[in-house]
Amino acid sequence: MTDSGHIPAPGGYFGKTLVVDVTDGSATTLELPERVLRDYLGGAGLGVWLMNELAPPGVDPMGPDAPLAFVFSPLVGTPLTTSAKFAVVAKSPLTGLLTDALASSHFAISGKLTGHDAIVVTGRAPAPSHLLIDTEGARLVDAAPESGMAASDAEESLRARYGRRWRAASIGPAGEHGVRYATISHDGRHAGRGGLGAVMGAKNIKALGVQGSARPALADQKAVLAAAKDLRSRSFGPATAKYRELGTLSNLLAFNAISTLPTRNFQAATFAEAPMLSAEGLAESRSVARNSCASCSIGCEHIYASKGGKKTRVEYENVFALGPMCGVSDPDQVLEASARCDALGIDTISAGGTIAWAMECVDRGLLDAPWLRFGDGAALLRVLAEIGSRTGVGELLAEGSRRAAERIGQGSAAFAPHVKGMEMPGYEPRTMQSMALGLAVNARGADHNRSGAYEADLKGGLDRAHGASEHVRAAIQTEDRAAVMDSMILCKFLRGVFTDPFAEWAQLLSKVTGWDVDGDELHETARRIVRAKRAFNVREGWTAADDWLPERFLDSPLELASGRTVTLPAARLRAMIDTYYAERGLDPQGRPLPQASATSATETE
Amino acid sequence: MTIVDRARRLDRAAAGVVLAGGRSTRMGTAKAALEWHGSTLLRRVTGVVGRAVDGPVIVVRAPGQELPALDPRVLVHDDPAEGRGPMQGLAVGLAAAAEHAPFAFVCSTDLPFLHSAFVAAVLRGFGPGEPEGHTDVVLPHVGGYRQPMAAGYRTDLAPRVEKLIDAGRMRPAHLFEEVTVRQLDEAMLLADPRLADADPELDSVLNVNAPEDYRAARARPEPDVVVERFGVLATKSGARGPSRVRAATIGAAAERVGLALEEHGGHILAAINGDQIRGDAEAPLEAGDTVSFISADAGG
Repeated sequence: MTDSGHIPAPGGYFGKTLVVDVTDGSATTLELPERVLRDYLGGAGLGVWLMNELAPPGVDPMGPDAPLAFVFSPLVGTPLTTSAKFAVVAKSPLTGLLTDALASSHFAISGKLTGHDAIVVTGRAPAPSHLLIDTEGARLVDAAPESGMAASDAEESLRARYGRRWRAASIGPAGEHGVRYATISHDGRHAGRGGLGAVMGAKNIKALGVQGSARPALADQKAVLAAAKDLRSRSFGPATAKYRELGTLSNLLAFNAISTLPTRNFQAATFAEAPMLSAEGLAESRSVARNSCASCSIGCEHIYASKGGKKTRVEYENVFALGPMCGVSDPDQVLEASARCDALGIDTISAGGTIAWAMECVDRGLLDAPWLRFGDGAALLRVLAEIGSRTGVGELLAEGSRRAAERIGQGSAAFAPHVKGMEMPGYEPRTMQSMALGLAVNARGADHNRSGAYEADLKGGLDRAHGASEHVRAAIQTEDRAAVMDSMILCKFLRGVFTDPFAEWAQLLSKVTGWDVDGDELHETARRIVRAKRAFNVREGWTAADDWLPERFLDSPLELASGRTVTLPAARLRAMIDTYYAERGLDPQGRPLPQASATSATETE
Repeated sequence: MTIVDRARRLDRAAAGVVLAGGRSTRMGTAKAALEWHGSTLLRRVTGVVGRAVDGPVIVVRAPGQELPALDPRVLVHDDPAEGRGPMQGLAVGLAAAAEHAPFAFVCSTDLPFLHSAFVAAVLRGFGPGEPEGHTDVVLPHVGGYRQPMAAGYRTDLAPRVEKLIDAGRMRPAHLFEEVTVRQLDEAMLLADPRLADADPELDSVLNVNAPEDYRAARARPEPDVVVERFGVLATKSGARGPSRVRAATIGAAAERVGLALEEHGGHILAAINGDQIRGDAEAPLEAGDTVSFISADAGG
């Protein structure tokens, strides 16, 4: 204890969260006890703890009482590669459940330099505003000049007005219009999934600006530096070659070859025109630049030139969602669609999934928008603009595929490509049945980052087309690993460089914080975080029926190139989910058991 | 048994059983361990059967028999008594397979040209409506002989086979006298277009008994396969587009296109015909296969 009576925080932490009510700009400090930090680490883990503490049960995600948390981590600001990351956490307007999205940029470093482990925004500003936070505190400023701007333009404008030392996470027009899958962006990186931009927009906040000079001590600075040097050198090895050389888009042709590339709203799992959109093809036909996130030595970002000299950052997920999923094969149109999503501030996966569902509805005569057809790149660009402005058919599609299908009816819910309301990423669940489980049970909804179960399907040790108990266990392991990586925070593209992940992560954490944490404790921390997310969802009305896949995937056969027909019988998925509940120590309805409740503030006093 | 394992028992169609024992008197050495283009006969046969069944592959070995390296998913069961012939192995194998699936393809280890299309064609002989139907054995009839060691069996026949053994009736023909056998002649088998294309001579049933059989079989060219490379494997080698090579295993296919799997430290995998994904160099290839080398770190 210091002379002032304040208990010093562990290394890498300040031990406090700034909570700002933007209704009047008032700010309070929430102390974060060491027990909470050790139990939830930071990022997504600390974010869910904050939600369980601060979100009123049943809160409207777009209402003023809903908290929106920007959460840093003990590793932010250290020289450890890929550590400049932050999590944005809230109750999702898309799913009505927890969502947490990560992004990597200097915003994480500057945000932590304000002297806080997290910043929570509540309330609703009386007029469009920016929230600026530095070591002096918080203030609201007029955002009228940036109204309607793309996030990147708003960032630039804010820095031009207030100084370049500010870093700003901003929403685009879609966030201002309450599109339920709007993003929050900084420096071209996006906290993409679950509609966090709509939550921020509902608070009348265009951008959160941060800057500061507060730095937490590290428990063993010298050891952290040595670990950083080692990790950096390992990050240049074969485990990250794919990301460095071609980026995540190199998945496209590989996934096409193994019938797991969702095409035309999951009506097929291969796309004949895939080579036109592939990383290998694009790298040959146009200039490509590589870039890295702040503090990253991998450099996975690949920026391709498109028509008119534009530069577009390309990932597998945006190309899959706006290309094969919508049947569009023209690379210029797909790159332009991706750039349009970035400019509007919308999640490419949810946009692509919702549009593909609408295209199928048009094919089936269920939706009166005859121009919106699979394969039509111009229609794709038009509908994106309508979604961003909530005009025309965009008013319906801005709600996401689940709500849109509820409104349209006529059986269209059976092929709405979502879990819990969140649109599905680019993995065909019938040919990746570990992933099928991961998609079904994950707290965030259909998600490939909180459950990386596709790893088990692609490693070759299991029959990916026939889920069983070993697939369940593999899916649980990937969830646990993700829970720690998303909370420490380290980039998942580093995962292949760790041979004994929990033990190695514990060592890193120990050097930063001074805790004598080991791999077993960290594994338990992972389980606690996964459980806390589920507990939040249960509180917000989740039921076991939400852990399920759309009807399209169940009992309907899909033929592989080998001639083998694969199916995912509903009974098999049910059995896998029941096994997941049992292995996770949940009750038969998938609810955390009472004795496994999350750490509460009162327990930590 | 977990909940999901119980469900799996219900929706698996077939397992594989490979009998690895036997005296190999004429060969003079255990056939299971015979070298086969950088792999072994048993490794190859178990791999080929595994490609055609959705249940596990079970190897039945003689007491104390040492086996060559196998895919770790292969289940090994011991034959409690040595030298009692194929019926003993059949009883053990079917009893083990019954835990996983209603049907099993059963074969010996000495079939170097066994093709997964043959296994699939035989299992298809059980027809729709099984397991409620009444076929107990699907028995190929090729080259003038019945082929009980390359045939399909209901796994619930295990107790009947044991009874026959107890009664000293030690030949598969004794079983066939008592149960419903569906015989598939060559024309019936070759009516399957995939099998007709992959193995028109039905060499799948060609067994090697003597050293000269083995040498002749080994002298045949390796299967003709197509290799594709994706991602950095394509861009770095400047080798976009498919290549045709002769290779009996994934490792050989990689080597033929200048890809050193070991240099990539387990970060390269191969998908065979867009289906099963393998990382082990000894995984067998068959004529007509397309092998796609991909990054093991797919995702993100």
